[in-house]
Amino acid sequence: MSLWVDKYRPTALGKLDFHKEQAAQLRNLVQCGDFPHLLVYGPSGAGKKTRIMCLLRELYGAGVEKLRIEHQTIVAPSKKKIEINTIASNYHLEVNPSDAGNQDRVVIQELIKTVAQSQQIQSSTQREFKVVLLTEVDRLTKDAQHALRRTMEKYMSTCRLILCSTSTSRVIGPIRSRCLAIRVPLPSTEEVCGVLTSVCKKEGLTLPPELAKQISEKSGRNLRKALLMCEACRVQQYPFSVDQEVPVTDWEVYLRETANAIVSQQSPQRLLEVRARLYELLTHCIPPEIIMKGLVTELLSNCDGQLKTEVAHMAAYYEHRLQLGNKAIYHLEAFTAKFMAIYKKFMEDGLDAMMF
Amino acid sequence: MNKLSLGDKIASSNLNHWVDPSFTDLPAESFSLPGRSKVSCSKAEPKRARKRKGEDSRRDPATSYLQKEPGQRDQDEPWVNRYMPCSQAELAVHKKKIEEVENWIRVHTNSSKGGILLLTGPSGCGKTTTVQLLSQELGFRIQEWINPTNLEPYSSSQDEWRMNGFSCSTQLAQFQEFLLRANKYCCLRMTDDDGATEGKLILVEDLPNQFYRQPGRLHDNLRHFVKTSRSPLVFIVSDSLSGDCSSRFLFPREIQEELVISTISFNPVAPTMMIKVLTRISTLEAGKSCGRMSVPEKGVLEMLCMGSSGDIRSAINSLQFFSLPDTSLEKELWRMKKDRPVISVGKVVSRTNQRKNKSKHTKEQEEEQEQAIGVKDASLFLFRALGKILHCKRGNHEAAEGVPAPALSSHLAHHHRKTLLVEPEFVVERSHMSGEFFNLYLHQNYLDFFSEVEDVARASEYLSDADLLTSDWTSRSTMEEYGSSVATRGLLHSNCQQISVGFRPLHKPSWLLVSKKHRENCLAAQSLFRSFCLTPVSLQTELLPYLAKLTSPMRNQAQIAFIQDVGQMSLRSFSIRLKLEALTDKEPGPLVTDAEEEQESARRWRLYHTVEHNVYCFEVTVLQV
Repeated sequence: MSLWVDKYRPTALGKLDFHKEQAAQLRNLVQCGDFPHLLVYGPSGAGKKTRIMCLLRELYGAGVEKLRIEHQTIVAPSKKKIEINTIASNYHLEVNPSDAGNQDRVVIQELIKTVAQSQQIQSSTQREFKVVLLTEVDRLTKDAQHALRRTMEKYMSTCRLILCSTSTSRVIGPIRSRCLAIRVPLPSTEEVCGVLTSVCKKEGLTLPPELAKQISEKSGRNLRKALLMCEACRVQQYPFSVDQEVPVTDWEVYLRETANAIVSQQSPQRLLEVRARLYELLTHCIPPEIIMKGLVTELLSNCDGQLKTEVAHMAAYYEHRLQLGNKAIYHLEAFTAKFMAIYKKFMEDGLDAMMF
Repeated sequence: MNKLSLGDKIASSNLNHWVDPSFTDLPAESFSLPGRSKVSCSKAEPKRARKRKGEDSRRDPATSYLQKEPGQRDQDEPWVNRYMPCSQAELAVHKKKIEEVENWIRVHTNSSKGGILLLTGPSGCGKTTTVQLLSQELGFRIQEWINPTNLEPYSSSQDEWRMNGFSCSTQLAQFQEFLLRANKYCCLRMTDDDGATEGKLILVEDLPNQFYRQPGRLHDNLRHFVKTSRSPLVFIVSDSLSGDCSSRFLFPREIQEELVISTISFNPVAPTMMIKVLTRISTLEAGKSCGRMSVPEKGVLEMLCMGSSGDIRSAINSLQFFSLPDTSLEKELWRMKKDRPVISVGKVVSRTNQRKNKSKHTKEQEEEQEQAIGVKDASLFLFRALGKILHCKRGNHEAAEGVPAPALSSHLAHHHRKTLLVEPEFVVERSHMSGEFFNLYLHQNYLDFFSEVEDVARASEYLSDADLLTSDWTSRSTMEEYGSSVATRGLLHSNCQQISVGFRPLHKPSWLLVSKKHRENCLAAQSLFRSFCLTPVSLQTELLPYLAKLTSPMRNQAQIAFIQDVGQMSLRSFSIRLKLEALTDKEPGPLVTDAEEEQESARRWRLYHTVEHNVYCFEVTVLQV
């Protein structure tokens, strides 16, 4: 038994649940027989990957669903061996080049070259190009992105690239201009509800509309998260009740508690406790950026108007440092300490104002 | 039989004394068969003889020196050896320490079951001398291991070796054999012994090199030894500050616990004690030289003492060097120093009376002058170095001499601080650590020393600045110093409340462990859950936590274990999985290479040029052209 997310993933452009016009456009694009390089972007959980796989199926037929996971070793010019995992079918190759760290340039060049240099045998019956799907393009180094630009032009005849990323802001201009950009927005709350209900129906469950709404709101319209939540609800309690509590991930709860700890007391000792909690989050594989974001969201909900701008400003400042710097804990802690100082001052001022 | 032959040699050397007396001063090794020093009781013997001589002279210094006056060899003999302490009172070690060692030895020589003692401490603080002195006073023998040089051709005694069955064995085997034999057999009674050989003590100061490569073999030997031990075994290992702390490496804590090794660590010799010793020696020396040499002034001795940083051996050596008849250079230097009355007088006064308030200025000058004598590099243990920064000692008044610093204008007045007593860059340099690591240690510990959140906010921002400075690996080597300077000075500056916190335990940074675990877990997550085809972020923040909540069957045991470990967080208990590791006062910092960190930083900052790569490619093209 696989997860609902995987089990009920639509496999054809026609079966997609939302953004149907876009799906129709994509089908038209493919039916012409050829298409340019694509840059598919949009927030996480909006169905970019699903859409791409549907597109590939439309293009090549059911053959693309026979996936195999391969482990490849590439030797960089500096004789360093890079190991990378790829997912491939007979027609396409999926790779996340940022897995290779700062050697991603070599991965891109080598992999695309090997794919592109092998021509399809029966070009009459099949498409005359293969597809290389690169995920997390926004996490590529600049070097790799420039390498990608050349590669794109060079192997245009035998290879199409589909780039997948959450935002285009970190993709360099030349690549953006060489691709047809397709934005996949998040589904609306109603659409998420619809998907949840239909999935539950297929599972033979009845989902009260109120709960569906609650889940879709809690998930932030992230469909993957919504489905996982729904499945967790099912495990928690069935039949569903209307006022059932939607399970939230442990780390989010933990982060909220951390934020509460920061708000309830501001002292060096408390900061020491918070640091230990941050370490705990980091060891549980939560990326520092996400910790920062979650922390800020929780803290802002405890702030008043004037303070909000200040805290948001500070958060942006330290988030930037987090990206530039080397050791995340310095910046997370600096942000926490700064917040504590500001918040303490704010509370003291408020107290003074009340007294006089 | 080996012992016998050695005993013969010693006896014969004693007999030959009248023939060529200067030979008695040669180090003992020349008597023992080099490379075969399994039973080197002899090593202790001549030393003892020498000491006895010293004793004589002490009983009646005037006459004995007159008697010995014509002895040309005395001129050549290092003072360190000549004035070897011959009683506990003369030993420049704290009484308590001596007592501690003495007690241990007493307990372990009396009982038939031996034990292992590990003596640590900086070089030249009297570890070996203490043991030797005690052996003399308590009346037991020292049997010392000296690394054999086994590359020599067969000597006359090769027959014995054949018979013993190891004609050409490795150092390791010989060491093992030595331990076994020394443990098993009593020493033979020598004719010249004063009948005071009750017990025996095995001393190892000089470990076979192989043990540094494979400490495990030493441990095996010791385990074996402990099982059958009958006589106490003493290891003497000098601490070194440059990181390769051999005592920690050779005798890790587990082993110490397993084998019940007691450890006594010596401190550097205290300045007062050192002054006492130096004064004693120079007085004796001056008396002996019949006025040719005067007792050096107190200032000189103090200077020597400062320069040696607690190493009495080097202090005595430099005293001898200083007192050589023709070291005009040094004297010149001292005279020069004396000619600047303000500073030197002020300095002496300040040192004696108000040691605490010594201003930074004079201290710096002192240090410069010490270096002129060129004795020893002073260095700090990490614990002390951290303490110097974290405790934030400031002077009580403005800089003593020189023009007072211009007062800050009113809007900057809150930045005013009293003079620092320490030079932060100097402290970092002396701690023998990279600035980045030092910052990590500071970061781990600074919160305990702050009382106000506002101060903490400023301090943490300085640390964040420091990290930013060193983030780029291409310029890291240059920026590192600036980074540590910003961090240390920032911490000192922002700690303006300056509460006296008393003793606080210091801890090792947990960040190294955390970041390592973070990385490992991320990699493990990706390899275990590859079939979900998700990006790392959504895998770690969405899929894994929910998988922990679902009952859907996992594919294998490893995945289940991983999800239970990483996907779930213990919410109820406030328990923190990371145990803080306390930093002990003598522990050097780790010398972890930063390669992994670099990789990490490059990963995190994706839009990065791999310069290294470009350079390489460029080189390749040039070569091809």
